[in-house]
Order: sequence, then C-alpha cells, then structure tokens
Amino acid sequence: MRTVTKVAVTHCRGRIEEGEMTKSKLRQAGAFVAAAGLILTAVAVGSNSATAAPKKLIGIAFDLGGKDNPGFNQLAYIGYQQFANSHPGWDEKDLQGANSDTDATRAQRLQLLVSAGCNPIVVVGFSYHAALQTVAAKNPNVKFALVDDSIDNAPNVEGLEFKAEQGSYVVGAIAALTSKTHSVGFIGGVNVPLIQAFEAGFKAGVAKINPNTKYQSTYASNPPDFSGFNAPDKGKEAALGMFQNGADVVYSAAGSTGLGAHQAAAQAGAGHWSIGVDADEALYPVNQKVANFILTSALKNVNVGVKSFLKDATGGTFTPGVHMFGIDNGGVGYSLTGSHISAGVRVKVNALIKQISSGEIVVPTDPTKINLPTK
Amino acid sequence: MSNLKTNPIVRILRSPSRTALAWVGMIVLISLVREFTGVNDITSAGAMEATIRFTIPILMAALGGLWAERSGIINIGLEGFMIFGTWFGAWFGFLFGPWIGLLSALLAGGIIALLHAFLTVRIGIDQAVSGLAINLLAAGSARYLAGVFFTGRPNGSIQVSPPINSISQFTVHGLSPFLSHIAEKHILIISDVAGILAGIVTGVNWVSLMLFLLLPFSAWILWHTKYGLRMRFCGENPVAAESLGINVYRTRFIAVCVSGAIAALGGAYLAIVSTGNYLEGQTNGRGYIGLAAVIFGNWQPSGILAGSFLFGLTDALRVRQSTSVHALLILVVVLTAAYGLTKIKKKDWKGLITNFVISGLVLAYFLINSRVPDEFVTFFPYLTTLIVLAFLSQRLRPPAMAGAPYHKGEESGV
Repeated sequence: MRTVTKVAVTHCRGRIEEGEMTKSKLRQAGAFVAAAGLILTAVAVGSNSATAAPKKLIGIAFDLGGKDNPGFNQLAYIGYQQFANSHPGWDEKDLQGANSDTDATRAQRLQLLVSAGCNPIVVVGFSYHAALQTVAAKNPNVKFALVDDSIDNAPNVEGLEFKAEQGSYVVGAIAALTSKTHSVGFIGGVNVPLIQAFEAGFKAGVAKINPNTKYQSTYASNPPDFSGFNAPDKGKEAALGMFQNGADVVYSAAGSTGLGAHQAAAQAGAGHWSIGVDADEALYPVNQKVANFILTSALKNVNVGVKSFLKDATGGTFTPGVHMFGIDNGGVGYSLTGSHISAGVRVKVNALIKQISSGEIVVPTDPTKINLPTK
Repeated sequence: MSNLKTNPIVRILRSPSRTALAWVGMIVLISLVREFTGVNDITSAGAMEATIRFTIPILMAALGGLWAERSGIINIGLEGFMIFGTWFGAWFGFLFGPWIGLLSALLAGGIIALLHAFLTVRIGIDQAVSGLAINLLAAGSARYLAGVFFTGRPNGSIQVSPPINSISQFTVHGLSPFLSHIAEKHILIISDVAGILAGIVTGVNWVSLMLFLLLPFSAWILWHTKYGLRMRFCGENPVAAESLGINVYRTRFIAVCVSGAIAALGGAYLAIVSTGNYLEGQTNGRGYIGLAAVIFGNWQPSGILAGSFLFGLTDALRVRQSTSVHALLILVVVLTAAYGLTKIKKKDWKGLITNFVISGLVLAYFLINSRVPDEFVTFFPYLTTLIVLAFLSQRLRPPAMAGAPYHKGEESGV
C-alpha cells in the first residue's frame, strides 16, 4: 500500500507545481493505474474460500481446482464428508491452490490452517511435498496426511499412496477385451514417473489379454510444463488422432485433459470408447453429453484413504509413514456406470483382480519394459 | 547486400512462381517421406484438421502483434488480451451463445487495449513494461472475475466456466468423402494432396474460417489501403508521418485496439471452439508464441502464417503420433543436403561440408533411434525461430520505430 500512497502524494505535488504539466501528470496517472492493477492482481490471486468454525476443525489444503472440481480434490472432500457423517462434532476449513503457487505460498497456506486451529490436516497432492516437510516439522503436535506422496522420518505425517498402476492394469484388460479393432491408445497428462506408472499398468493389462494389440501412446506436455493436466483441446486432438489411426479404446490419465478425449470418442461415434481416471468420470456433470462413450474409469479412491487417516488421527491409531491403498483394500478399482462392460468381460477382470490381490500378478510401473506393436 | 541477392532461399522467395514451385517441391518431398517411412499420419486429413485448430489461436496472436508493431507499438500484452478473450468469450458465450461470446471478446479486447494504447502512445511508458502489466492484470482479473461469476454456476468454479454451446461445423459435401477416399489409398503425392485438402474441407468450423480470413483482410488493409500505408508509416518514421499531417497518436491508438481485439478473438477461440469452456491458464503462453511467429514471419502476413503453421503443425503431429515427427527428420536430412549442394556453385566448400555433416548427423540419429524425444519436439518451433533470428537477422526487416516512444513535436522518440 505504501507505493500507492507515494504515487498519490507525488501525483498531488505534480498538481501544485505549474510548468511542464500535462505529460508528467499523465505519466503519474499511468503509474497509478498500473500500481492499482498490480494490487488488484495480488488480491485476486490470493483469494480463497474459508468457512467459519464453531466446532473442532479438520483442515484440508486442496491442490489446483478445489473441492468443486471433480477429481481427486473432490474425492478427498467426500472422504471428509463420509467421516463427518459418522463422527459428529467435526467441521472443516479448506483452502485451495492457485496456478501461481510456489513452495513458499503452499507452506503459508498450510501454516494458515494450523493457525486457524485445524488438527488433523489433510494435504492433497504431491506438489505440497516440500511445503509440508517444513510445516510438519514446525508443528509437531498437528497430525497431517499427504495424498499421493509421503515424507520420510516425519513422526506426524501419514503418506496416503495409491497403487494407481493396479487400477490402470484392470482398465487395460477391459480395453483389450472390448476393442474390436485390437488397437488401443493411452494419453498421459505430463510425462512424469507418477503418470508413467499409469501407462505401465494399462499397457501391462492390455498385453496380458492380447500381446498383439496395437498400442499408441502420447503425453500432453513434458515437465516443467504441467499444462498437460489442464488441456482438453490437446486431449481431444490426441484421441481423435488415435481413433483415426485405428484405435477404438483410449485411456487418459491426464486430469481434465481427459475430458477432451471423451468428447473425441463421442465425435468419432458409436464403437469408440474413452476410459476415465481417478473418479467415476461418467458421473461428472460436465461429461453429461458424452457419458455414453465412457467405457469405465480407473478409480483411485482418495476418499478411502482420507477417511482412514481421519479415523486414525482422531481415534488414537495414528501411525506415521506410508499407507498403501491398492486393489486389495478398496484403494483402487474400476467403475461400472452405464453398464458398458459385458458380464463375460467382468468375470475375466475379476479373476485378474484376485490374482493382483494375492500377489500372483505384480503390476509393473515402467512402461518402456512392456512391448506391444505400434503398427 | 550481394549476399542477400545470391542466397538461394531469398531468391526463391522473391518470385511468386518460384515460391509456388517451392511449395510443390515441399509437398513432393513430404509425400516421399511418407512413402518411405510408412507413417501415413503426416498428410492425413485428421492431422490437417488438428493443425488448423492449433494454428488459429497462434495466428490470431501473431496477427494482433503484426497490427501493433506495424504501427510502431510492441505488444507484449498479447497473452493478456488472449486471457481476457477466454474469459469474456466464455462468460458471454455461456449466457448468450458462442457468437455473442466471440463478439464480446472482440469488444472487450479492443476496449482493454485502450489502456495499453493510452500508457504507451500518450504517456510513453516503456512498451514492454506496459505489456507485462497487461499480462499480470489479465491473469489476476480473469481469476477474480471467474471467482465472482463462474463459481456456483453449473459445472463452474474459480478455474472453469460453465460449458458453452458449440458452434456448428460444415463439411463440403461430395468433395470431402471423395478426397478422403483418395487419401486412404496412399498413392504417392496424389493421396497426400488429397489428404491435406480433405482436412481443409472436412468439419470446417465457421469460426475457424472467419478468423482465418482476418489474415488476408489485414494484409489487404495494411498494404493496399490509404489507412494501412499511414499506419505502416507511423511504424517506420512517426516524425515524418506527423509532418505530413498524419495523426500518429490516433493511428497508433486504432492499431493497438485492433491488435488487442484480434488477440482476444484468439483467446475466445480457445474457450469456445477448442475446449468449449473457460479454463484458467488455457492460453498457456500462446501470446508469446504469437510474438515469436511475428519475428519468424519477418513482419509479413505470409510469413506469420508460415510461423503460426509451423507451431500448430508440430503441436498437432506431436500430440497425435510422435512417430510422425521422427519421420520428418528425413525431410531435414534431404533439405540440409540440398542446401549444401547449392554451395557447390559458389565454391563454398566449408558451407558444403557443414551442411553435409548436419545432414549426416540427423540421418544417423534417424536410423539409430525410433522416436524423437517429446521435449525436443515441443521445443522445435522455438529452435527454428532462434535459428531464423541467428542466421537471418541481417535480413529481418522489423518496422524501424517499433518500440520507440514518440511524442508529438519532438524530434525523435529514442
């Protein structure tokens, strides 16, 4: 604010001094406008939602998108709701990430939740890793959970990790069993190990059913460009390309980029399928018009993990370290909305699920180790 | 200057018939590459359609840049105008339909550009600083406005707008299936031309078509009307223009407003056509890519089309099938070798060897690897722009006074 006052003062002084007036006054006015604009920007970037708190508070720090955005943020929120329904007396306060986030702003956000009296606190997304490391060390009495990642040697943090490759393996098998052209495609959001694990699972699932399936894959962007999670236009073009090159089932592990792939399936017409990720995408209101082209979704039940953490933290069974959620304990799975998967396919898939649960099948996490024909 | 006359590329581009011949040669080459590598997606109708959809927003940014810079004002704020375009296009598109959305983006871009024009033309603030301020202002206000208007609406949040109704597409009946049919036969050259043409006539979006026509329209205004001549004059020598009775301030104001309006249209295209809703950050640097396309295109309409097309094509090929880009390496091999051969005539042995070595290295890379790293493909158009800047900077002809503030009655703005 000091800058503004200063500008305003010089502006007035400029008014008193007569002389080569017009130009300098205009310049000052311009500077004033620019400064005001920057402040508006700063205010807008910092905006977030918060609720008043009469009860004991659970804090939730969302990643980009917030709780209204379908996906893992919303699932984390649903996990809280499921907990709160069975445990009255708890309320929540949540803050959400912004595109301009740095580790420093993320740490501030977490500290804000701590200062507001929140305990336990759910932190959604691996992007908070560094921020949580510092904040958790500073606040040893507050219990944290980090979704999708874990922190070594932190006595007050539970890492909630999901074996996403297992869910991807299952939808890979479904894709290979459904494809009539014996050709499938994979669209990744950003080419990072986390997403490569999705591809590896999918590819392995496809190879398990039919090692001669033609396989195409692409990533919407490469790090440090993370826009690939938020580029439906690229998702659409990528999926259209795959359909035009013979694929009839395309799986996207790419956040909202996948919405474009669903639209592409609808545009390509009957017989073309898109597979969603994380949540049951056929239920997203935004996919209403294309829901009939969503074959299934590889579920990552973040809510299961969050609920389990909240029970641990409030019930005295809190144990720091990595908590794995896989296909055996309901952490991952596949959706049946729309009943597009035939009974025969379901039988085969459920047999695979049993084999994964028992450890008979170990799903790989490196896609380059699996060979499928590309032509 | 002698170098400029003897350079084969420059010589070819000097004459329209040779330019046409160069295009034909290019298509033949690409066709051969497709035949040789068997990567049929390079010239498929689908790849062409995708290229058009990726090119249009970049072309709009570049066109906006062209208007502003030709009048003497550098517009770093193109990205910001595009962001405003996405927001206004999405909000009014959601309320009143896509066409009103486009119109609102156009008006909003033009009006907000008044700020940039006022700061740079009237006050003489550094043009880069003002442009950056616009970009920051746009990112912040779009988020603020989205929070106020989009949250609570169906499917809307601070980062996503409610969906906008889509704009109808048309396909040239008769022609499109005919061409697609030929394209699928994979006959040398004929199928490639058919594929490219099929991509142009299939699923044509009215907006794509109209926005594309802004390019020849702008070229006509800037180079074939009295107003365009005056505008370019202001970019080359505002002092002389003023002395001849041209109102430099007014001319530049108009040019900057048109620039903002066109860039905002590009943003609205992203929201309305590409995705069907507003997404925070969806412009993703396309405004800056547009600026690069302006430089790549040497401040000429045909050049910026080529630049935007290059960015759009690499995006389309990469996203659809990364093997396509690998196949295109052969094109680089042939072109560098051919360029090397032209050096023989001039007895430039060093040039010949350099080009052959580059050609050989690329060929070796092609044979050893089965795909080009994605990172490189994304980076490729920028690299090309850098190469153009590095090797052709002597021949680039930016408007002489672009970027220099001008004050009425002063001898020189620098």
